Amino acid sequence: MISAQDREVPKGLVFNIQKFSVHDGPGIRTTVFLKGCPLSCRWCANPESQSSEPQLMIRDLKCTGCGACASVCTEKAISFKEGGKRHINWQRCNQCFACVDMCLFGALTVVGKLMTPVDIVEEVAKDRIFYRNSGGGVTFSGGEPLAQAQFLQEVMALLKQDGFHITLDTTGFAPPAALDRILPLVDLVLLDIKHLETAQHVKLTGVDNRIIQENARRITDRVQTWFRMPLMAGINDDADHVSRVAGLARDLGVEKISFLPYHEGGISKWPQIGKIRPDFEGRAPDEDHMAALTELVSRNGLQVGIRI
Amino acid sequence: MKLAEQLKKKVVSRAVRNVKRGSAEEESNRGMYRPEIRLDLQRSRFFTESYKETEGQTMVVRRAKALASLLAKMDIFIRDHERIVGYQTSDINGIFHPIDQNWKSPARLVNSEAGSSLLDEAGKKELDELCAYWAGKSMSDRHQAAIPQSLKKYWTYEGTFLWTQLSELGIPDYERLFETGLKGRIQAAKDKLAEIDETIPVDYLEQKDFLEAVIISLEAVIHFGKRYSTLAETMAGEEKDPKRRSELEEISRICAWVPENPPRTLLEAFQFFYFIHLVRYMEYSTLGIGIRIDKIFGPFYERDLAEGRLNREEALEIMQLLWVKFNELGLVYSPTVSSVYGGVASLQAVTIGGTDKDGNDVTNDLTYLALEAAKNLHLIEPSIALRLHEGTPDKLYSNALDVIKTGVGYPSLFNDESLLPLIEKWGVPPVDARDYAVTGCVYIEIPGKNVMRRAVGYFVLAKCLWWALHQGVNPKTGEQHGARTADPSTFTSWEDLLDAYAEQVAFFTNKMEQLDRINLELIEKYCPRPFYSAIVEGCIESGKEARKWVYPSMIHSFAIVIGGINVADSITAVRKVVFEDKRVSLPELIEMMDKNWEGHEDIRQACINAPKYGNDDDYADSIARIVLCRGEEAMETIRDRYGLPHRGDGSAVSATYGLAYDTPATPDGRLDGDFFSDSTLAPSPGQDKEGPTAVLNSCAKIKSIETYNHLLNQKFPPRFLEEDTKPAFMAYLKTWKELNVPHLQLNIVDKETLVSAQEYPEEYSDLIVRVAGFSAYFVDLSKGLQDHIIARTEQSLA
Repeated sequence: MISAQDREVPKGLVFNIQKFSVHDGPGIRTTVFLKGCPLSCRWCANPESQSSEPQLMIRDLKCTGCGACASVCTEKAISFKEGGKRHINWQRCNQCFACVDMCLFGALTVVGKLMTPVDIVEEVAKDRIFYRNSGGGVTFSGGEPLAQAQFLQEVMALLKQDGFHITLDTTGFAPPAALDRILPLVDLVLLDIKHLETAQHVKLTGVDNRIIQENARRITDRVQTWFRMPLMAGINDDADHVSRVAGLARDLGVEKISFLPYHEGGISKWPQIGKIRPDFEGRAPDEDHMAALTELVSRNGLQVGIRI
Repeated sequence: MKLAEQLKKKVVSRAVRNVKRGSAEEESNRGMYRPEIRLDLQRSRFFTESYKETEGQTMVVRRAKALASLLAKMDIFIRDHERIVGYQTSDINGIFHPIDQNWKSPARLVNSEAGSSLLDEAGKKELDELCAYWAGKSMSDRHQAAIPQSLKKYWTYEGTFLWTQLSELGIPDYERLFETGLKGRIQAAKDKLAEIDETIPVDYLEQKDFLEAVIISLEAVIHFGKRYSTLAETMAGEEKDPKRRSELEEISRICAWVPENPPRTLLEAFQFFYFIHLVRYMEYSTLGIGIRIDKIFGPFYERDLAEGRLNREEALEIMQLLWVKFNELGLVYSPTVSSVYGGVASLQAVTIGGTDKDGNDVTNDLTYLALEAAKNLHLIEPSIALRLHEGTPDKLYSNALDVIKTGVGYPSLFNDESLLPLIEKWGVPPVDARDYAVTGCVYIEIPGKNVMRRAVGYFVLAKCLWWALHQGVNPKTGEQHGARTADPSTFTSWEDLLDAYAEQVAFFTNKMEQLDRINLELIEKYCPRPFYSAIVEGCIESGKEARKWVYPSMIHSFAIVIGGINVADSITAVRKVVFEDKRVSLPELIEMMDKNWEGHEDIRQACINAPKYGNDDDYADSIARIVLCRGEEAMETIRDRYGLPHRGDGSAVSATYGLAYDTPATPDGRLDGDFFSDSTLAPSPGQDKEGPTAVLNSCAKIKSIETYNHLLNQKFPPRFLEEDTKPAFMAYLKTWKELNVPHLQLNIVDKETLVSAQEYPEEYSDLIVRVAGFSAYFVDLSKGLQDHIIARTEQSLA
């Protein structure tokens, strides 16, 4: 748990810093993933990004069955079955992380680390020369980075001072006030467009998309913007829907649409944080259809990329 | 492309399979060579015959006559597809062994399971007879007889260094040879003879013998060419196909002209070069090639184009024919050497790019033709060394990437701005340094100079650390084998351990030097190289055989150092776990290590979790820099016979796997016998967790100028070089360059492919991987060495 004291210090909760990112904006980038998201997309590939608290994350493959973790668990949430297989009772776990300190093998970890703006700047600055040679920079992603707007504003201000190119990767689901604070610091926004139909959007992500569409205008009025569109066959990939997205993009002056075809990369993470994956059967559009959609977007005078 | 596919089928792979791992047998029941490969006895036969006939003459003349006898008598042949001709052996599947160097090793090999297919019964019988002559006379016999008892235990490989006998390099002065032809060199030798007849220098007889030997060997090579000319003429007479007939007539004309006369066309220049290249190996077998192929041949190509003799397509065709020839060289190695050369054929690299002596970029269209030939043929030899400097055109980066993308493992990239200051520090004048070329893996040499840079062996830095933790005493036998360094229980900081380590490095370097010093004296006496001396600058002019003098900026003797990064991570772990966190005392740590960590997994994990080099973490990287520098300084305190310091070299080869077998557990958490980091700059496998930019940032903290010519392996999945991310990869390369990291070679392959190739080798016979400094067919590597390559960190794409 995060103490009240920790909250007072302007720290951000980060669940990953990924260097050498080449798919989150132009050039070679460092992507800072902030933890906590108001959406709960059914296909979410980073379920550990959803909660805004640090979480226990387990890796069974690394577990040697030594039992050190169970010996310190005050809640008796860890037990070992026949053959040394560890079992976590997630209902009992109070997320104290005492077990993590005991594990020598990295089979128990905490996802989510509090970092100060200066911590982030130091890490980002290490690859400055790569950004310069590639036209890259730093990208803030999530979760939903705007959910930590105050921290984000502070860290971006420091980075801006140092001349880094700053990209914001956002769901667009945020209070307008948060956007007002952040947008002046941002060079490029990657705005996720999941579905234009409100009912569908609610069903797929748990939130209403009208605020996102309003924010889309707020963003595009002020900052260079690319749309990112996760594509799922039979869900949001019909030509009509994509055509409407392209139309919206054109109307708003968006330069580019990046398609992110559905993948199953994140499935194994759900049990690792003790969650059950929502019932969702996704499929990426086939190659021919992807080509047709790419062509469709190009015809609208927009740049188009797959995963980039 | 069709031609390339057909040509590929003509190639017989002479790659050696590793059948030992350091001192241990490993898959020694499988053939060390592919089943079709034969040990060709012609060189041994005619050398022996000639040696018998020349008893009593001076050695330099005997060597020249032995070479001449071989070139005059050996069977020669021309294959149907060839326009560039010449073989070292009497048939297409042959490899030879220099019996005058060592006869025991081939004799043992052909009688073992690993080498039984190399010779039939009649061949074995002949080999026995030949060996009988060389008993007591081969270089290896002479060396063993000469080294004192006290040094013998260091001659036997026990895990700290593997001293090797055949190690002289050198790049012929092709520019001058092409100006004068061999007849020009003969004339120079004759002029020098006339001069000494007048001046009578104090070493008159020695010079006279040497110059006469030079003339004998040069005339023999001219005659060798003419034999091919005659053969081609005969074959043309019998040839029905008019196209082939005219090709054979062309071969006949060319071989009548070169290498005696200066080449006039690209094809003549290729043929000239190839004769020289073949024969220098036959005179004295060693590795490497080091020709700056675009700089040397570019002018011939451009002249042919301008004068309408050739178009680009034809040039590519003959370039591909030359490429195939590079794959026809091979040697019989000993099983122990197979442990460091797992998958090697002959370690030939050609150099492209870089600058001329004035600093102007040399890139020309032939640079691109070489890349195209390599891409079309996809063979393990020759490797391409690409010199990059500030003026390298973007197009060259881009075309090089297109070849790298195929997964062939080359071009390997050399950073002029990082290497030139190092070469100049070695004493090479800047004008010569700018002409450097790469032989073998990352060996650096100056074309045409009598450099005589020598690789004296493989040196296991991690084992030196292990000796430092044991005061040089073998705990099993109680024997004092290394230096008697201070007792680790008295160490109060990691720096004390560093001092003891440096002392061990100097101690073992000195042992290696002592072995080599005796060897060099023997080589000078019994194994002169009159032919090689004639094709580098300065020997004929001074009347001195190559080993009798040194080029003013002769570089030095060097050892291929391995396990240095493991030493760095080990010392970092000792600092953190012992001296800072005080989890255990150093003697306790050593005890745990010596039990291969059994029962002490907690401490081992603490050592593994200590900061590691390769994550752009200054704690670990700064120690790595200090450790690598100290090791090099210690090595440099030992001087060779020429008074020049011994130095390290980054070649690595498969020694990081093979020779790691004989180093027990180390404080970085490594287990007994586990492989080392796969090159002198690469982080330990799996220990770099921050991605490729962090790796380069860490590498940049290790300065070449303070250490040596490093090698850096990186492995990326193929999707990384797709069109959409290629610009990012180009930026990665440009940054590598700007960070002043001296070298980079890339494996573009994903883990799934390698794992699948282990399971279904027959479907992956063409799969090439970069080992370290050379490319190899994956299927030729032992399972363990394959695992070593799979275990290397695959840089992921986020």
